[in-house]
Amino acid sequence: MRHRLRDPVTGLLFVLPMLVLFLIFRIFPTLGAAGMSLTNWNIGGEWSFIGADNYTRLVNDPNFWSSLRATMVYTVIYVPLVMAVSLGTALLLNSIVFLRGLFRGMLFLPYVTSFVFAGIIWRWIYEFDGLINGVLAKLDLGPVAFMERAELVLPALALVSCWKGFGYSMLILLAGLKAIPGSYLEAAKVDGAGPWQRFRGITLPLLKPALFFVLVIETIASFQVFDTIYVMTGGGPAKASYTLIYGIFERGFRFWEFGYAATWGMVLFAVVLVVSLIQRRFVGKENT
Amino acid sequence: MTMTATRPAATRVRQGATPRRHGTRWALYALLAVMSLLTLGPFIAMVIVALSPRGEPTVPVQWPDSLTFDNIMQVLNASGFVEWTLNSLIYSAVSVVIILLTASMAGYAFAKKRFPGRDTMLWTFLATMMVPFQATLIPLYVLVSDFGGADTFWGLIVPTLANSQAVFLMRQFILGLPDELFDAAKVDGASELRVYWTIVVPLTKPILATLGVFVFLWHWNDFLWPLVISQSDATRTLTVGLTVLKTEELQWSMLMSSAAISAVPCLLVFFLLQRYLVNSIAMTGLK
Repeated sequence: MRHRLRDPVTGLLFVLPMLVLFLIFRIFPTLGAAGMSLTNWNIGGEWSFIGADNYTRLVNDPNFWSSLRATMVYTVIYVPLVMAVSLGTALLLNSIVFLRGLFRGMLFLPYVTSFVFAGIIWRWIYEFDGLINGVLAKLDLGPVAFMERAELVLPALALVSCWKGFGYSMLILLAGLKAIPGSYLEAAKVDGAGPWQRFRGITLPLLKPALFFVLVIETIASFQVFDTIYVMTGGGPAKASYTLIYGIFERGFRFWEFGYAATWGMVLFAVVLVVSLIQRRFVGKENT
Repeated sequence: MTMTATRPAATRVRQGATPRRHGTRWALYALLAVMSLLTLGPFIAMVIVALSPRGEPTVPVQWPDSLTFDNIMQVLNASGFVEWTLNSLIYSAVSVVIILLTASMAGYAFAKKRFPGRDTMLWTFLATMMVPFQATLIPLYVLVSDFGGADTFWGLIVPTLANSQAVFLMRQFILGLPDELFDAAKVDGASELRVYWTIVVPLTKPILATLGVFVFLWHWNDFLWPLVISQSDATRTLTVGLTVLKTEELQWSMLMSSAAISAVPCLLVFFLLQRYLVNSIAMTGLK
């Protein structure tokens, strides 16, 4: 205790490398994003302060609204899908003992690969002469152009992200399930509660914190989808998969409108902030 | 990041051990087998396509008459591919080393030191975790390229080293180490660097290893930042390189071979450290 009080300099010195990295590459760009969104900054580095013009432009930009809509639709498809798959597989894994490790490993495997990798593999799976259409052809069913039909492209992309990522949520939920005392379930069983009643009455309420954590991280992840879209659709067809991040990327690095791209970034920030704050509020309540 | 507590193995209740009808048991295994097949299917299909001679029908997945490594060899000989792989290795390995070092130093100070502004700094680190990287992409790119960092290794690596999750993980772990250890070392007259190197580093080895694996995977699989900052083969990483390949007229067998090769390090890490990876996610919520 004594030496800590005596020696404030070493503490600072140890934090310094990370602190410097932080100030330059996290804090400064965060403040910079807010500032930049009020300018017409372009590729030449010339800029002038234009106040809220970018924000006015944003609300009048049909591209922005369609991208927000695409992002929301994607989230509404992806989040329930990944929650259902990760909860289902976690429950399955939790009710077996023999070969549990093997199954857990196989289900988790895609998680360690990249979204670019997943995008390439699945582009081939969805291709006109790809895996799914090959199977459909065997069944004498017509080919489906997954990547060319506006109403199919977001569900198809959500499926890819679910395939690649559900293992992580599955593990979090599995840890939550393991933490539920078996005696509770036994007692309920003795009292004559069926499997469904035990799930509703005991497992689900006790799993709530883990479920909520997974819900929040998957919601945030779904707002940040980009790699698979870049690889698989390029925002198409007809902007059906043109999401917020794709908008930031294209505004910034195709049209080189840095100021306006930063404005799109602020919207993403706001959305993620709201989701995080809701999480903090609810998790806080869970803990008290 | 939440700390999801797992029960120690000894007290774990084996729910599967309760008597159950055989039919249910078989149904559970059948369902798991189907799920696993759906998860592994794309990998298996990829390997088959990658190893099939070109032009041979592979859809729907059927074992080709003969297997060939021609596609793999051709990818390895293709311009850029080996260079991109090396770039990815440099990007990942350098990041792992520096992040482990800086994050464990900062974690130690936050956990066991008192200095002015400590709690404010810690709070700020925590707050920045809520800012999505993509929201700061544009100013970060402008900043780095203004300092001549576009298409350089430092421009690629240095901005990704500010990793608050790593700092927090280290802090949480070091908080749990007993104060007496550090006091005793201090009484013995050990310098701060010595305390760090002979107490903090050895005692945090398990968490350093876990973090190292995750940082490696994050960087190896990273895409958006390398995409905007690397402009030539000199700094282009494998993930970005794969999307460059895509645009050229390429056969699927070649593309699948490239994808397969790109996943090898991740799959190796996975097979060697599976149990370890899985447990650390459950315990620390590392993403």
